[in-house]
Amino acid sequence: MERSGEASWRPPRACDDYWSEFRHCKSLRNCFHHYYTYGTSPSCKQWKEDYHNCKEWEKHRGAEAKDALQKSERNRVAEQRNFTPVWELRRDPPRDWHMPLNQEKPQDS
Amino acid sequence: MDQSKQEEEYGYNLFPERNRGNNKESSITQSLFTFNHKCQVMLQFAMETSPYAKLLLSAMQSSGCKVLKERHFSCEDCDGTVSGGFDAESSQIVLCQNNIHQQSHMNRVVTHELIHAFDHCRAHVDWFNNFRHLACSEIRAANLSGDCSFSNEVSRFNFGLKEHHQECVRGRALRSILAVRKISREEAEKIVDEVFHTCFNDHEPFGRIPHGKKDAGFAYRDYNNRDRYYANL
Repeated sequence: MERSGEASWRPPRACDDYWSEFRHCKSLRNCFHHYYTYGTSPSCKQWKEDYHNCKEWEKHRGAEAKDALQKSERNRVAEQRNFTPVWELRRDPPRDWHMPLNQEKPQDS
Repeated sequence: MDQSKQEEEYGYNLFPERNRGNNKESSITQSLFTFNHKCQVMLQFAMETSPYAKLLLSAMQSSGCKVLKERHFSCEDCDGTVSGGFDAESSQIVLCQNNIHQQSHMNRVVTHELIHAFDHCRAHVDWFNNFRHLACSEIRAANLSGDCSFSNEVSRFNFGLKEHHQECVRGRALRSILAVRKISREEAEKIVDEVFHTCFNDHEPFGRIPHGKKDAGFAYRDYNNRDRYYANL
């Protein structure tokens, strides 16, 4: 969905963010935590590719780099949403969230 | 009689100061050296410095549930070894001032309970009647708050490595449910199994399982960047 066309597009994250995610992903600490959680070692090469595509786009503004980045990030979003929620999401916050305390509790009988 | 049965059924008996209709006003004459004051100080520090808490507070504000320290947090004495709770009826997070003595523990409890509050804010969670909803929020809170970090588990003498995190999350969710609801262990296990895959993979608002402050910091960075992120997807 383009708001004002191609001209205003920029990578979803700053290029340095991709690099710091890559370094973090490859760190010993993260590898340990990944094994502790999932029983496997993490796959980090996508972050590196995204970083290179980001830098590539910054230099040459190529459509290929842009498409690759978008595809990668959409994939990440899809992975995060890959489940059916057990509950129904609200449209508005709970009405009594901001109500003062005394008004909510019934009088002790 | 009805009230005491209800109290036991929903776990309110663990929080004896939560008497219905009996709200303790905070007194300016309260001593500086009480557990209550220490709890307040640690809470303030957690809200200001923990990236986990800061992210959750921002996310809740964006969802229309701005968290006010005086209104939505309450430091109280609790029974047994429970560290905190979320009271959906009064929209309050209870912190057990007699059981939380270290800042790191406070950070974790605040995060854990804020996850419940966040779920309450963004979804129609039926805390009292739907065990699947309760189980889901407990799984998420155990998963995302750092409750099940390797070091925390080791300090409980639970030594495990490969995929132990998941085992811990299951176990803690189970314990939390059994502590506040009167159902059998088998029933609770069945419910946790049913919703585990869905709820373990729901990482909102973090976008990842934060294994430590660095992860949480990255998640907070991503959260602050979300407008740019979604605009350029």
